[in-house]
Amino acid sequence: MPREAEPSLNERQFILQALQENLRLDGREFDQYRPLELTFGDQYGVADVTLGKTRVLAKASAEVTVPYVDRPLDGIFNIATELSPMASPAFEVGRPTETEVLISRLLEKTVRRSGALDTESLCLVAGQKVWSVRVDVHVLSHDGNLIDAACFAVVSALRHFRKPDTSMESGILTVYTPAEREPVALSWLHSPFCVTWSYFGDEGEIALLDATWREEQVRAGSCTISLNRHGEICQIAKLGGTPVEAVTLLQCTNTALTKVQEFSAFLDRKLAEDIKRRDKGGLMAELSAENDR
Amino acid sequence: MPLDTSAYSLALLRVDGRRWNELRRIHAQIRTQAAADGSSYLEMGHTKVMCVVTGPSEPGPRRGTTGGAAAGASKAAAEVAVSVVVAGFSSVDRKKRGRGDKRNLELQSTISNALAASLHTHLFPHSVIQVSLHVLSQDGSLLAALINAATLACVDAGIPMTDYVVACTAGSTSTYAAGDESADPLLDLNHQEEQELPGLTVATLGETDRVAVLVCESRVQVGRLEGMLAVGVDGCKQVREILDRVVREKGKRMVLEGTVVKGEGLEDMDLD
Amino acid sequence: MASTQHVLLSPAELAYLHEALSLTPPIRPDGRAPMQFRPLVAETEILPGTNGSARICFADGTEAIVGVKAEVERTRGYHGDEQEEGGEEEEEGGEERREGEREGQGEWVELTVEIPGYRDDDAGTAFLAAMLSEALLADGRFAKKLWISRRFHWKLFLDILLISPPLSYPLPLLSLTTHLALLSTRLPRLKSEGDEDPFFDDDWAAAPYLYPQGTTTTRPPITLLVMAVGRNIIFDPSKEELAVADVVLAVSVGEAATNSASTKGKGKAIGGMDIDSAAAQPGRSLRLLSVRTVDPPSRVTPPGMPNATNSAYGVAVSVQKQPEARTVEAQAVEGVWKAPRGGAKPAVMAALVQKVLERGGVADEVLDALEAVELG
Repeated sequence: MPREAEPSLNERQFILQALQENLRLDGREFDQYRPLELTFGDQYGVADVTLGKTRVLAKASAEVTVPYVDRPLDGIFNIATELSPMASPAFEVGRPTETEVLISRLLEKTVRRSGALDTESLCLVAGQKVWSVRVDVHVLSHDGNLIDAACFAVVSALRHFRKPDTSMESGILTVYTPAEREPVALSWLHSPFCVTWSYFGDEGEIALLDATWREEQVRAGSCTISLNRHGEICQIAKLGGTPVEAVTLLQCTNTALTKVQEFSAFLDRKLAEDIKRRDKGGLMAELSAENDR
Repeated sequence: MPLDTSAYSLALLRVDGRRWNELRRIHAQIRTQAAADGSSYLEMGHTKVMCVVTGPSEPGPRRGTTGGAAAGASKAAAEVAVSVVVAGFSSVDRKKRGRGDKRNLELQSTISNALAASLHTHLFPHSVIQVSLHVLSQDGSLLAALINAATLACVDAGIPMTDYVVACTAGSTSTYAAGDESADPLLDLNHQEEQELPGLTVATLGETDRVAVLVCESRVQVGRLEGMLAVGVDGCKQVREILDRVVREKGKRMVLEGTVVKGEGLEDMDLD
Repeated sequence: MASTQHVLLSPAELAYLHEALSLTPPIRPDGRAPMQFRPLVAETEILPGTNGSARICFADGTEAIVGVKAEVERTRGYHGDEQEEGGEEEEEGGEERREGEREGQGEWVELTVEIPGYRDDDAGTAFLAAMLSEALLADGRFAKKLWISRRFHWKLFLDILLISPPLSYPLPLLSLTTHLALLSTRLPRLKSEGDEDPFFDDDWAAAPYLYPQGTTTTRPPITLLVMAVGRNIIFDPSKEELAVADVVLAVSVGEAATNSASTKGKGKAIGGMDIDSAAAQPGRSLRLLSVRTVDPPSRVTPPGMPNATNSAYGVAVSVQKQPEARTVEAQAVEGVWKAPRGGAKPAVMAALVQKVLERGGVADEVLDALEAVELG
């Protein structure tokens, strides 16, 4: 199995020493994110997120299928994460590494289990036909903080996504093409975002936001906090690593909340811009189904 | 079946009759298995787990476990390889969880990383500490029970460590939707409470306030976190005391039985 | 299947072991008599969340836990059941089943073995599970106990967990633990009658045991491991002893119901044949359920063997190139033990089986000991 190159002892010490002196390699503040960019594709439901050199593409899609037997009224919602060798030589196809498993679990907990998407609204005919919404996450370039970028991409893609409109008339279900009827947005309840802290030092006293890959390699521990802008925690995962003071964790959570509110505002602005761009001629019908939340 | 929380506000008693800050009965044993380097058995209420530690030993051929913090990375420290087997008969309905199950992998990786931070793995370069955990019965607080059992087994195996890694769960009395400020924090959730109420698992390093593991999987207001965390950290201290007593009592018995020689500098140790 | 991984023993150690075990009486490394079992600690009904459970700890430190869970399941293939899959009605050749005739099916029992560090689809694990379930179902009477009505039956899940690392071949340990777990298994008392949807008595204290207490006629089978070195027969071999075994047998023994003691005569057993022979003797009559040969590790090519002498590598070519290698291998060297080639003699096999079934023999003794384990 190919392995990631380890930073040398000198590099390691240099990074840590600099952090002790309140300096980051790229000159950022400790709680500063790298420039975040979001581009929507021409198609609905494609979001391309770059965070410094990290780049993640998420694509949402939907199809009609049969629901699970034990949940006849719920649609199906899946997030598929695959780290391909494109992002880093240490990733292999078909052999999930620990990183991959943890990322997919985090996305699952943040977006799916927190109930961001109303799966009941995906039901077409109870017990027979439901929408199956699927988001594929592709990591195009890996330079640290995959989780935050991936989560932002997933939420953006889903918010941007439009599924074909349907109608039920005398027991006949019709799915309209985009030409016939304007596709509709998903029933979205809240937008959770991940914020990952990295801890350095023996006591985990130095906390960084948005660590680069080099920083991630030398960090002593990390904690991912998922919140929405209403101040609801969707998930917290500090899976081992150097113990950190409980008070620090609380402070981290509060800082994370302000970051999440920034993310949320940023995404709303981008979505509004995108709608304007698509509505250039003013010919398109006003999408009243757009959810305010 | 939804949990009836209405009764709580009346008598301030939970479904199983505990007060908000009460732990369930913790029963622990160490050195349960003669052949293992370290072993333990732990009950937190009806959650029952067993742990066997082998090592530190020379790494054998790779087996079906996920490596820990230093998975294949540095040879300068021992690798903590954890495997968790959830017995099919452990839950109410029989369920078979495969080894590739993501939840299981996450548990394994969490336990491994938490232990690696406390164990002095740098003393055993090029070696593996194999921790295998068996879940015999589940009634909430699974991760906490697993971490506690693993810590005890590592103590039994004589692997040097900074302090015990102890864990417990904490929750809040009302669901996330209810915005009432009067919500009480709860200590040590059972399965029923875990299903219905927001909660988190905290693991701390010994008696300090330093948190090694913090896992929250439910939606909860950010304001509730502080209360839950405080109760959880406090619970961890109680757990540490209980585990410490178990270790000391076993040690005492072994000295009295003559299985081990009393260490030097322990003349003042109380043997009665 | 190899019964253990290779034990790292030097040729001299192997020779010493073999020599010691071939003496009359054999001298075993742990000082046991040839017929002696390892001391064990056993307890039952340790897990209130299961229908039955048991734990056994052998003195060498190996430990196993077995939990039994039962679920009510709809019997497949029962015709005249309209509730199931509305339109799909299968006519099974008009086969009429008489009312009250109980029929059991092997698939009503699901048995899984979990060994730490091994994948669950590992050949060794699968083989262990197959051997254990085969012994259980061999008499054809076990599955009948799970019959509820013509439409429903119990599905029994046996989860066998080896807690310790597999220090010795775990088959006897797992089998004994399963035996105890099944003895302690209780199923809720049926309150409904006939073919209506079954409902059960809530009172766990009233739940009858799967194997009724007090009667010795029906008990779950046990599987014992027997090996032969030269003319000596050794029970419950340890890992080291297995390393020099000439032949290893896994023998499953059940108790014959007293009325069905047939006198078919003792059968000779060759790998994997079920033989129905009863030792028609007064007292406990044992019934041989199955015999399987287990490959001792000596049958496996040892690590570090040059390809030239490895028959699995294509000897034909290499022998011509290095004719001396062949002769070196065949020569007996003083103080070095070589794994025997070829199969075991039928007489040895017969003696092994005979020894298990003997009255007052090991199987008898083990069953007596397990009987002494208090339930509850």
